[in-house]
Parts: sequence; structure tokens; C-alpha cells
Amino acid sequence: MAIPIPPLRPMIAAFALAAATFAAGCSNSESSNTSAPPPAIDRAPAGVATSPAVSKLGDLSAFRAIAIDVSAIVDKGDLGAAKSRIKDLEVAWDSAEAGLKPRAAADWHVLDKSIDRALQALRADKPTLEDCKAALSDLLHTFDTLTGHT
Amino acid sequence: MNALTTPAPSLLNKVPEVTLSFWIIKIMSTTVGETGADFLAVNAGWGQLATRSVMAALLVMALFIQLRTRRYTPWIYWLTVVLVSVVGTQITDLLTDGWGVSLYLSTGAFAALLAAIFIVWHRLEGTLSITDVVNRRRESFYWVAILCTFALGTAAGDLATEALGLGFVWGAATFGALIAVTFGAWRLGGPPVLTFWLAYILTRPFGAALGDLLTQAKAYGGLGMGAPWTSALFLSVIVVLVAVAQIGMNGRQAARRV
Repeated sequence: MAIPIPPLRPMIAAFALAAATFAAGCSNSESSNTSAPPPAIDRAPAGVATSPAVSKLGDLSAFRAIAIDVSAIVDKGDLGAAKSRIKDLEVAWDSAEAGLKPRAAADWHVLDKSIDRALQALRADKPTLEDCKAALSDLLHTFDTLTGHT
Repeated sequence: MNALTTPAPSLLNKVPEVTLSFWIIKIMSTTVGETGADFLAVNAGWGQLATRSVMAALLVMALFIQLRTRRYTPWIYWLTVVLVSVVGTQITDLLTDGWGVSLYLSTGAFAALLAAIFIVWHRLEGTLSITDVVNRRRESFYWVAILCTFALGTAAGDLATEALGLGFVWGAATFGALIAVTFGAWRLGGPPVLTFWLAYILTRPFGAALGDLLTQAKAYGGLGMGAPWTSALFLSVIVVLVAVAQIGMNGRQAARRV
């Protein structure tokens, strides 16, 4: 049975389906845009300023907290533990890309590159303490610059 | 010159009818392909290079099987589409993140490349029909064009995010509206082949935005389902729809043999 193929007819239904999903997401964003609660910060080391890290990208404190944690582990000289802890930052950062990037793409790229350099330093074949310290210090500086805490 | 003559149809049609389930599977496979590759690269810790190589190798294998089959076989066809979706996205990501190519340039270049593919395809076959993919050359053009639409759709979608700050909520609305316009144009008698390919390009960023809408945290305006649950949901829908198509196809073949 060769039926002449209607290329786009079904799309209206697909669109309706998508529109329904979209509507649900839309109302969601309106309520959250103003109050966007940050993901819970855990493991923020004592003695670290916990003022909200708000930038054009929004609240970055959850990511910054992990970076501070990694930095503290590096300072103790445990590069292996720092390497496994920074993966939490990589995963969290990567999964939030679609939410954060549209807010300020240029800032997002600055931070993304900085996180990449920290990942590279810790994942080098033979990671050195100086490289890791430098990369983490740059990363924390980047967070501070973006959030106006210079 | 044999190469310049149109070969007689030597195969049964190798591609599916364009139905509602065609577009649902197509849109959802975008999300599943992307989150799957992302999972391997980041969560499983394979890194981008290994993930790219594995996906490219899988695509070559799937294309080989798809080109070798005598007729449209749903599971092979859709496996190939998912892998083309992953690799098309990875090509654009590699250009953008790896080589620092501007998204304006890659969007323009992929659009020009796609136009060139259609021109050559039309010149050699005399048609761009997506309903009579009945010889190997047409099928090769079909898959190259599809790979190009995924790369173009990724670049155009990323460009909208970067240049216009278009997030996934407005992205889903914008690309959804453009798809609706394309649908309307087709209904009003617009060229079916052109509207099909436009829709094919637009459903790439639309599918990505839709996926983000479900996966992203509520703090970012998403539904907060997370990538694993969203992928599981979409994958289940795909598997059911492809299984229905496959069973229907097997049933028709069995009936024909009787």
C-alpha cells in the first residue's frame, strides 16, 4: 500500500504535545526566575565566606563551594582525592549548562575554560602540586571576578 | 558514463513514511543521543575523545548495516538516526569547543554544505524525494544530508543561545513556532521536500530545548527531572514506537509471504 506521504501533517500533533510540556515548563520558570533558590551548599569548609555568589550567570555558590573544597584538598597535598572531588564540579557544571549559558554566554565560557584548566591540571598524567594550586587559584579568582568579589 | 545516468531502482524503499511517530521518534532521539553521549563523556569519565571515537565507529557500523539491508527495517533505521544525531552534534561541538570556530561561521558553512548536497543530489537523481529512496546513491545522499542537518541544527541552536541569549524555554517556543510555520506552509501547498528538510533541521534545536526543559533544575526554569529519567522516558517511547513499527512491518511481510 503506497500512500502518498504527508510530510508534515503529523507535526501538528507533535507540536501540540511539545507545547503542553512547554507550557508546564514556562509557568515554572516564571515563578523561579525571581527567586531561583540555589542548590543546597554542602561541605562548604568552615571559615570560608558564604556570601551568595551572584553573578550575571545567577547563583554560582554551589559550584564555587566545590571549587573551594577541591582547593582545600589540593592544599593538603592529596591530589588523588582532589581529582575525584573535582569530578563533582565537572558533572554539576556540565548538567547546568543549558540553564546557565543563555544568561551570559561570554561569562559562561570564561568560567568553563577555567574549570577545564583545573580539570586538566588534576588529570594530567603526572599532576604537579604547583600546577594544580595555580589552576585552582585561577578558578577561585574567576568565580570572584564574575561575582564582583575582587 | 555510467555514473551520470540514473540507476534503475534496485532496492525497495529504505526509509520510513513520514508519520506522527516519525517526528516523535526523531525529536526524542535528539535528546537521547545527546544525553547518552554526555553521560559517557562526563559521568562515565570516558572523555570527549574516546566518546567521539566510539560513537563514530558505531555510526559507521550502523550505516553499513542500514545500507546493506534490502528494505526499510525500523530498528536499524532509527539506530542509525540516533547515532547520526550524536555524531552530528559532536562535529559541531568539536568545531566550536575544540577548534574555536565561530558559530556564525559553522552555521553558515553547514547551511552552504547542505545546499550543495541538495544541488548535487538533485542533479544526479533528478529528485530530492524522501519517499523514493530506492537506490544506494539516493540513500547515501539521504544520510549525508541528515548528518548535515544535525550539525546545522546544533550550530543554529547554539548560535541562538549564544548570540540571542535564547534559553531552552524560549528556544522551545521559538523553534516550535518555526516548525508550526513550516507545517502551515506545507498545508498551504508549499513544496513537500523543502518543508520536510526545514522541519528536519528545526526539530534538532527544538528537540534539544525540549530535552533541556525536562532535565534542567527547577531553579533554571526546567522541570527538574534530570537527564537519566528524561532519557529513560524518551528511550521508552522510542523503543515502543520503533517496536510497533517493526512488528507491523514483520506482520506485513509475513502476510505477503502467505
